[in-house]
Amino acid sequence: MNNLVGTHSDGNMGMTSGVNTVPFKTRVRPYLIVAPALLITIGIMIPFAMAIYFSLTAYTFRIPNSTFVGFRNWTRMFENPQFWNAMSVTLKYAFWSTTVEMLLGLGIAMLLSNLKSRFSRIMRVALIFPLMVAPVVGTIIWQLMLRSSVGIIDKMLNVIGIYEAQWGASHQTAMMTVVMIDVWINCPFVIILILAGLQSLPKSPFESAKIDGGSAWFNFRNLMLPMLKPCILIALLFRLMAALQEFSIIFALTKGGPGDTLMSLSVTAYTQGYMYQKFASALPLILILWVLVNIAANIIVKAWRKAQYQAAGKEMEEAVPKHGRKGAKQAVREGE
Amino acid sequence: MTARKRLVAILQNGGLAIYAIFALFPLLWMFILTFKSDAEMLTTTFVFTPTLINYEQVFFYSDYLRYIRDSFIVSTGAVLISVLAGVPAAYAFARYSFKKKETIAFQILSFKFAPEILVVLPLYMLYRQMGIYDTYLGLIWVYQLISMPLIIWVVRGYFEDISVEIEHAAQVDGYPWWQIFLKVLLPLIKPGLVSSALLCFIFAWNSFTFPLLLAGIKVEPITVAATKYLAQSTVHYGQMAVAATCSALPSIIFAVVIQKHLVRGLSFGAVKG
Amino acid sequence: MAKIELINVTKRFGKVTALKNVSLEIHDKEFFVLFGPAGAGKTTILNNIAGIQIPEEGVIKINGEIVNQVDPAHRNVAMVFENYALYPNKTVYDNIASPLRSPMYKKDEGYIKNAVMKAATLMKIDMLLERLPSQLSNGQRQRVALGRALVRDPNVFLLDEPLAHLDAKLRNLMRGELKEMQHNFATTSIYVTHDFMEAMSLADRIAIIDKGEIIQVGVSDEIYYMPKNQFVAQLMGDPEINLLACELVQDDRGFTCVWEEAPYHPFRLPEEPELFKRFKALEDNKVHLGVRPQNTHYHFEPVDGSIEGTVYSFETIGNKSVLTAQIGNSHVRTIAPNGLPVKLDQPIFVTVDIARVILFNGVTKEYIGRYDEADVMKLVEEQKSESSKEAGENHG
Repeated sequence: MNNLVGTHSDGNMGMTSGVNTVPFKTRVRPYLIVAPALLITIGIMIPFAMAIYFSLTAYTFRIPNSTFVGFRNWTRMFENPQFWNAMSVTLKYAFWSTTVEMLLGLGIAMLLSNLKSRFSRIMRVALIFPLMVAPVVGTIIWQLMLRSSVGIIDKMLNVIGIYEAQWGASHQTAMMTVVMIDVWINCPFVIILILAGLQSLPKSPFESAKIDGGSAWFNFRNLMLPMLKPCILIALLFRLMAALQEFSIIFALTKGGPGDTLMSLSVTAYTQGYMYQKFASALPLILILWVLVNIAANIIVKAWRKAQYQAAGKEMEEAVPKHGRKGAKQAVREGE
Repeated sequence: MTARKRLVAILQNGGLAIYAIFALFPLLWMFILTFKSDAEMLTTTFVFTPTLINYEQVFFYSDYLRYIRDSFIVSTGAVLISVLAGVPAAYAFARYSFKKKETIAFQILSFKFAPEILVVLPLYMLYRQMGIYDTYLGLIWVYQLISMPLIIWVVRGYFEDISVEIEHAAQVDGYPWWQIFLKVLLPLIKPGLVSSALLCFIFAWNSFTFPLLLAGIKVEPITVAATKYLAQSTVHYGQMAVAATCSALPSIIFAVVIQKHLVRGLSFGAVKG
Repeated sequence: MAKIELINVTKRFGKVTALKNVSLEIHDKEFFVLFGPAGAGKTTILNNIAGIQIPEEGVIKINGEIVNQVDPAHRNVAMVFENYALYPNKTVYDNIASPLRSPMYKKDEGYIKNAVMKAATLMKIDMLLERLPSQLSNGQRQRVALGRALVRDPNVFLLDEPLAHLDAKLRNLMRGELKEMQHNFATTSIYVTHDFMEAMSLADRIAIIDKGEIIQVGVSDEIYYMPKNQFVAQLMGDPEINLLACELVQDDRGFTCVWEEAPYHPFRLPEEPELFKRFKALEDNKVHLGVRPQNTHYHFEPVDGSIEGTVYSFETIGNKSVLTAQIGNSHVRTIAPNGLPVKLDQPIFVTVDIARVILFNGVTKEYIGRYDEADVMKLVEEQKSESSKEAGENHG
């Protein structure tokens, strides 16, 4: 049937005659219901408009001077090597943490899905715990573990001959450390999402593929991955957007240091705006960040919509398996 | 064949075990640390005499309980507002068709994805001017950015799962729309609603950036307070461990409670667990 | 008690038009059946009468009053949904009691207890009152849905395929009970089904719907014996009516019908002035001969007037069987007893009761006429007056 039947006040958008218009109070009702939620959230979003305005002024907290300075703040920012460092840090951080989380998450999800042992069933619940810990708290936990004086990791590294590992304090290992912490916290998100996707896959295409032979890798690549694509893309979307603007972990670990190795756009904006009170120069930084996030989101959402559509179509196709994929290819070849 | 299968199983379990250690050992170790006195902190690893002195110190001789209270008030308040305003909105999105419906819905969703820093810096000024800087109300209001979209989108999915015929039946039976909402629909989505509310609570409880900039002295949730511990000159590692463990505990407990609905909640309804 | 009218009702869902200019008049206390294939718009009509949907054009009247702007709660209708729409978290008792606890039709608990027990006993579910819908079988859920409708005293009962998900035995049983209930309750009822037997046995009048349009409205005999077009004829009949594509040939003795599959064996059409008049008025001489399987016969030996074919299939459908003969490119269905010793591709000889045929225009597919039309009309009038007597009031 048609899916508009699942709503009230369906149809009747083209009001034709008096007796057939939907009564006013019914028409107005949804707007009234949504109003409180809208007011509360829109109210908070005024800052967005303010941010753009103030990024064009010379506002600081000590000298509340909102003279319009045009794009001066913006040109200054683009000329500032600090900005480019922040971009590089942000992109590096987002790339590494997202990539590791997606790959590791996919792998662990597959393991959990294949194993039927009691161990794996317990793990499905227990693995969520790191995700539930506040990122700040998680960072603190890792800091303690890594700190040479009391840290257990350090003690273990001592055993194999590594002393005084610097982790967060060293230029070389700082990025690696924050990425590791981010992975620790957020990998479970990817795992449970993909696990849910795996569990909702229809069984018949795989059963018929099994009958037709074909290696596990082949099945994985050509059958499973495409059907998992929507799920994977959602996980990617959430993780990438979050990683681009991650603040708490970096702040809690080193506040951006050592030096400026971890001064991502978020942390730099905070330092400029809150600590140095150079408000107006901080805002362009985060607006750029916001543009980045939006672009990434748009691309991924488009890909997601397409993948959903395809996955649905594929399910239909596989639902009547005549030869299986391998056989179908062969059948086509023979028919030529 | 069986030997190969067994080998594969061992490898798979092994791989899982390695990750399990990575994921859970830190939490376990933190928990162990809570029972270690400062004296033994640097000298021993796993073998030590357990003591409750850290707990004593944190709960009775520090402001920790105050931080818990602040976190609790702000988180509960945020969830309450989101539920009261968000659930009816979720119903409207699920069942009514009105102009710009999807636009408004996606607008609300986009709030969740807005960088927190972007919102917080201008808000800092706004709040100071409005006089709600460093207040419960201020934090509760800003937390709506994360909790309201979650409630609206996830609960919307739960409403959409209910067959609309049931509402039609109730209409024909003689019930007005608001009674249908309260007496028929809400009971049916109760588990989903509770899970969403608990997930919101977890997000609010774990929030750091907002309270860092928009609250300071009078209102101090535990996430912000925790960083203060690290900045101390002499760090009482045992007490830190207690603070960390206790702040993580509610979230972990709630997560176990709402397991079934977790995937749906975390993905904002995009993936139905 | 109520008279229901739909006047030029059009209902659209986005680009789809579900109802096109539908006009119906349902008399008070009538058992009115909406019959048609899936997707025809039957449920949409019910939804519009109930007030769950409002039409884009047209007017709906209950007892002469326009109710387009009236919400369902105020229309005083009771509806049984195809998927039952029971409240999952309420017991059977609470489900049935639900309408009597609503602000519109509120009654005190004593009255409710009586009414629920009465309805439950009638539906034979009185021992299930404490169960939840999830603990019931489909048939039981169906009866709870019916019970929920029966506790009310509505203007009209709207029943959307209430027997659809029941097994055949239960369906037969419920059919009888429904008819008896309808007598006792004397309430206007509008019943949707796509089962031909149900429609024929239950209806005072039937409306045939296809693709959102009303094709024909009439008492069951009218629709069965004088279908407005081929579509209706094919719909109403199990097994389906045979339609033979013929050419009408006029000669000095009258008319013969030459079937394209058996041109060597034309059917001589008996003399009938009214019918012949209509033949002469035809623009084209293409005619479809409609003959129900009940009026075709099979023979194992050639008989005078028979046409030879081979056995295509032999299907048992309950207490009788359908023998399908292949003649040329067409199939002719006929009724046969169970257990008939017959082999596929065996030669078979088919005769047709020419006096019982229904003639359709081969181009427009519309009804031209039949032989005992006058008798059928008398039958129809009798049926009409019987049902109005039962309704206990005079029309007009």
